[in-house]
Amino acid sequence: MAVAVTDAVADVGAGRRVSARHFVRLKLRVMGNNFRGQGWRVGLFALGAFVGLWCAAFGFFLFAAPGLADNNRYATLLAAFGGGLVVLGWLLLPLIFFGVDETLDPARFALLPLPRRTLVTGLFAAALVSVPAVAVLLASTGLIFTAGVFGGWSAALTQAVGVLAGLLLCVAAARAVTSAFATMLRSRRVRDLAAVLLAGAAALIAPVQLAATAALQDADWDRLATVAAVVGWTPFGAPWTIGIEVAQGRVWAAPVKLLITAVTVVALLAWWSRSLESAMVGTASSGRGSTRSTATGTAVTQLFPRLLGWLPRGSFGALVAREARYWWRDARRRANLITLAVIGLFVPVMLNLGSTGLTAGGGDTSSPVLVTLSMVFVGVLAATTLANQFGFDGSAYSAHVVVGVPGAVELRARMAAFSLYLLPLVLVISGVLALLVLGQPGWIGLTAGSLLATFGAGLAVNTLLSVLGAYSLPETSNPFALNSGAGVARSFLAILSMLASAVVVIPMVVAAALLGDVWLWLALPVGAAYGLGAALLGAYLAGDVLDRRQPELLATITPRR
Amino acid sequence: MTAEHPALALRGLVKRFDAKTAVAGVDLTVPAGSFYGLLGPNGAGKTTTLSMAVGLLRPDAGDAWVLGHNVWADPVQAKQLLGVMPDGVRLFDRLSGAELLAYHGLLRGMDPAVVNQRAAELLDVLALADAGRTLVVDYSAGMKKKIGLACALLHGPRLLVLDEPFEAVDPVSAALIRDILGRYVTGGGTVVFSSHVMEVVERLCSHVAILADGTIKRVGTLDKVRGEQTLEQVFVTVVGGRTATGEELAWLSQ
Repeated sequence: MAVAVTDAVADVGAGRRVSARHFVRLKLRVMGNNFRGQGWRVGLFALGAFVGLWCAAFGFFLFAAPGLADNNRYATLLAAFGGGLVVLGWLLLPLIFFGVDETLDPARFALLPLPRRTLVTGLFAAALVSVPAVAVLLASTGLIFTAGVFGGWSAALTQAVGVLAGLLLCVAAARAVTSAFATMLRSRRVRDLAAVLLAGAAALIAPVQLAATAALQDADWDRLATVAAVVGWTPFGAPWTIGIEVAQGRVWAAPVKLLITAVTVVALLAWWSRSLESAMVGTASSGRGSTRSTATGTAVTQLFPRLLGWLPRGSFGALVAREARYWWRDARRRANLITLAVIGLFVPVMLNLGSTGLTAGGGDTSSPVLVTLSMVFVGVLAATTLANQFGFDGSAYSAHVVVGVPGAVELRARMAAFSLYLLPLVLVISGVLALLVLGQPGWIGLTAGSLLATFGAGLAVNTLLSVLGAYSLPETSNPFALNSGAGVARSFLAILSMLASAVVVIPMVVAAALLGDVWLWLALPVGAAYGLGAALLGAYLAGDVLDRRQPELLATITPRR
Repeated sequence: MTAEHPALALRGLVKRFDAKTAVAGVDLTVPAGSFYGLLGPNGAGKTTTLSMAVGLLRPDAGDAWVLGHNVWADPVQAKQLLGVMPDGVRLFDRLSGAELLAYHGLLRGMDPAVVNQRAAELLDVLALADAGRTLVVDYSAGMKKKIGLACALLHGPRLLVLDEPFEAVDPVSAALIRDILGRYVTGGGTVVFSSHVMEVVERLCSHVAILADGTIKRVGTLDKVRGEQTLEQVFVTVVGGRTATGEELAWLSQ
């Protein structure tokens, strides 16, 4: 079928073939036009580029370390694990934090007579033009240096090819995964997906615990080197280790590892190409199931979800009900909720498993400080979801401006609605951590208290941030999509809000460190009160700001068309 | 008290975007009980003007009053008397029609019983009751306009400000909207709406203003502005434009 399309295009398009080059130039042009007359955007971009360069330099020296130290022993280790982490980062970070830059929205190409293959390669090439991609490229030249030191020119050249292949792999993985995840989140199967992911996360706990404990108990380098060698043969490590392989005399390994990488990239692109179709068709056709069922009850009873029937029938109640519905009905918000649930469960479990494994004494030695810290992480991450809560609404927020909703009411309602989803999650996370991982039911107060305190403080910080630092989100069907340039803004906002929330919650960590066993009992009530107080104070202060700059907020979150 | 004040008064409204001046000093007085059409070509500043008039966009200079209440100094009073339907703006479209109306009503602090009764009536009159639990995002363009109008009407405003209410609406829905607006004005309300469809404006309006390049070019009652000509002739003369000679785009004819 693809062949038929290609032929048809060849007939119509008078000669000039569209190549990836056009997409790259289009992206550069769009980026350039976005900067026009927007000094702060240029500033943000420069800042992002600077941070990217800084990270690249750091990565370079890490990757080049074996070469600089002239120590062959850890070269494979660093290349395999470091490179693997980079790939993993490209795989996961767009889902959790950063989203993908959708300067070139696939939906815009839907009407153009382009064969799918051209479109995919073009969009792929355009995706390569980004600060993170350049940063990875610069950082991984460290690998080339190392390979050159040990294996001369031939190894360095091989590794250069490997680095390029690795970069392709990273970008392809990021695109394919976000696109596929976006498609899934739009569909009604998402509930099953969420359940599967959570179940998978839970199921992984046991084997991961065993593996982590075993690995860390006899943490001798030779065994790690074996693991690294194995990782080097997976797509995660393959492209980064070929230079070292050549340097160590295994020339035959280079083409095999390149082949592994190439096959993976092609497979990822094929996967992306499939989900791209639904991205191009857009949300319009993703009709929901219950469309034809007739409405029952009055308008007001329909607005309030059945579980929230107890809410007051006023502006506060209406806001909470609408927000609660939106956290589930809006694909963008749902994506945030689901990734949050998965990460929120995963990270503390891994962190605490690692530490219990390290001390090798079973469940009871993970320190209250570490538990508190991991809960701080989850709470901060959860609250960061609200850092651009008005951006989710876009121009629909004008309804609130027209009515003149009081700022404090609005913000309290938004916090309340988000908490309706988050509080059960908090309970589950702290319960799982205390019971299953730590084996300490008595610590449930500590975990829940720390989480509540951080969450409340984070809500306060992020609410203020959402009023002052809002930015518009593109109106596309991809919940992970960002406007060009917004990626930098988003990252900085997220980092800022995380730092601020973490600072606000320092007293909880200090208390955990100083108070000892008494704190196990006090943590829950104190943490809950601290969180609630912080959130209410935040809503009061930010509400005042919001009252004064409603129209300005509306202007910043309205997508430019 | 409100009878002494014009329904909407704009004085010296100015808005600049970067280097471009979108609205360059608009003065407008809309008498209570009038059906006021704001005419202008694309990009004339109609939406910008109306946004500033209803409190959605802060003007760089100038002021707006709704029935004597300053929109920027006394927004609570002004916004209670005002019903707005913006154009090109999303609704909270992941709610169903009934949910959206309930949301708007409660947000305005209305009694739930009144909200229920009016919502049911509005959905019925606007032929949206059949849509059931369909989300507004899945509505057709005409249905979206109608539910937007219902949201603006729900709290019984004294002044309705509508941006392009007839854009992308089929003739049947347009007739329905015209009918409802006509009854609203007969009942003592005031309507201000923007459009570039001459025929609708000529049929409905008691007063018109022609806006081009960010300033008001002609203003007054429909008969005064129109004079001996048709409204379209006046409009084209005021706005200025080129007419096709027939030479260009020759390749379009096969």
